[in-house]
Amino acid sequence: MARALDEWSLMAELARLELDDNEALRLAQEAERMRELFLTMSRADVDSLEPTTHALARENRVRKDVVDSFENIDVLLNASPELEDEFFLIPNVL
Amino acid sequence: MSLISELWSGVLIEPGRREQYTRLVGEIDESIGSFLSFSLENPTGKPAGKGPLNGLPVAVKDNIAVEGRPLTCGSHILENLKAPYTATAVRRLEDAGAVVVGKTNMDEFGMGSSNEHSALGTTVNPWNKDRVPGGSSGGSAAAVAAGLVPLALGSDTGGSVRQPANFCGVYGLKPTYGSISRFGLTAYASSLEVIGALTRDIDLLETAFGVMAARDEKDQSSISADMISEDATHVVMLEVDDEILDAPVADAYKRTEGALKEAGYSVGKVSLPSLEMVVPAYYTIATAEASANLARYNGIRYGHSPDFSENPTELMRMARHEGFGDEVKLRILLGTYVLRSGFQDQYYVKAQKIRTLIRNELAGVFASCDLLLMPVFPTQAFLMGDAGMDDYKQRVADVFTCLANLTGLPALSVPTGIDGGLPTGVQFMAPAFGEKRLFKAARDLTDSFPLQTAPGALDIRSLS
Repeated sequence: MARALDEWSLMAELARLELDDNEALRLAQEAERMRELFLTMSRADVDSLEPTTHALARENRVRKDVVDSFENIDVLLNASPELEDEFFLIPNVL
Repeated sequence: MSLISELWSGVLIEPGRREQYTRLVGEIDESIGSFLSFSLENPTGKPAGKGPLNGLPVAVKDNIAVEGRPLTCGSHILENLKAPYTATAVRRLEDAGAVVVGKTNMDEFGMGSSNEHSALGTTVNPWNKDRVPGGSSGGSAAAVAAGLVPLALGSDTGGSVRQPANFCGVYGLKPTYGSISRFGLTAYASSLEVIGALTRDIDLLETAFGVMAARDEKDQSSISADMISEDATHVVMLEVDDEILDAPVADAYKRTEGALKEAGYSVGKVSLPSLEMVVPAYYTIATAEASANLARYNGIRYGHSPDFSENPTELMRMARHEGFGDEVKLRILLGTYVLRSGFQDQYYVKAQKIRTLIRNELAGVFASCDLLLMPVFPTQAFLMGDAGMDDYKQRVADVFTCLANLTGLPALSVPTGIDGGLPTGVQFMAPAFGEKRLFKAARDLTDSFPLQTAPGALDIRSLS
């Protein structure tokens, strides 16, 4: 389990997730169970098939690359935990 | 206008009935917990539209944006967020006269099958308050079953509309991927999820679907397509081992075969060899997309933020640590794992190829039938905290529902009655844009399976 715990702790690091010790153990056990389930896919003979990324892709739609306005800007900004004027506040980077 | 629409049409207009309605919702929902927020006041003050849904109260799952109302997704990380705009599906309902009255409880970010993964409250099944309402749209299903609203919106990523609808004895539609705009639906697994609807009235469901279905410039994946004809005469039943299903579920499945024959359908059988691959492929894709979509919750622009952090990285780590529950963290970890450099071919790409295999198999099935009949879930509504139905078993039990999400096809869960005091039901699946066939099949079964009413449900006719 120690190796699995290290593996899933690395995933937490990559995903910017802080986990306490109990959480890390609990989630590593559950994640191992799911990984075992995922590994059953190796039995499927699908090498000759193309992957499906979109269930019903009928066209590749794009929109024009133009600036649009949004009427509720203040609501968006005020949803921030910390704001100064029109800027989001974060702790010092350095 | 359907009968149910007529019954509800004046409730929000006449002051006396409006007041009575509000009071009764509060009283009934106190022991059910379907709503996370309920208010008849329109927070934007924008006038309601007029159309086929005039004055109809609608509940909306709390991961679908309604301007000025909370948008919690059942999570601490968004507990205090209010939506700055309205989802296109909701706006189209409002333009047709519907009135949003509240936001319903759900498993956090749609991740769960029991509603027990909501961080913000407990919802129980109106048929038996010791049992779960299903999930993740459990609040919407419970609100409809308890008679609190005639129509509710949910989202369906792997069965999250159909399974709670099944547990609560109401209709639950997962429409064709792209038929209803996802603009304003909080993203969890973008290639799988759709906005769906729950109701006790099949005519109202068809009307609401017709109102919501349209191509939307704000959702690049929305499609404008002609609906295929409702003509359906041949149904095939998925062959399922009886031992997989609880006895009442297996019995309902068999009785549906008889009811379909009585209604004039021919019924055949079919097996899906790739069925055993459905759940691992579904969870590989769903968690991969979840880990990417939920990266946006970092405690900076909106949502929960820790009281103190030394640097931006710690801010993000702590915001997510404090804000997310276990199931969400697990799926983020799994998604990060399957997308990890060097692992993608083994997991994510493999799952997408299995998705192709499943699509091909279903295309073969629909080449020789009009509708596919399946169970919804192997059990009826299970007990809250049921150790025999732990989180892993709940995920594996998604086998019959996530098929429609992997393939993008429409599916409808249809109640078949009550067994042992709990609802049973089945699920129909149709080819893409075959929703009319689903509605017709459900309608054709109403004589055999008349809809039952949950004990203590609000009877709108009692309001004077």
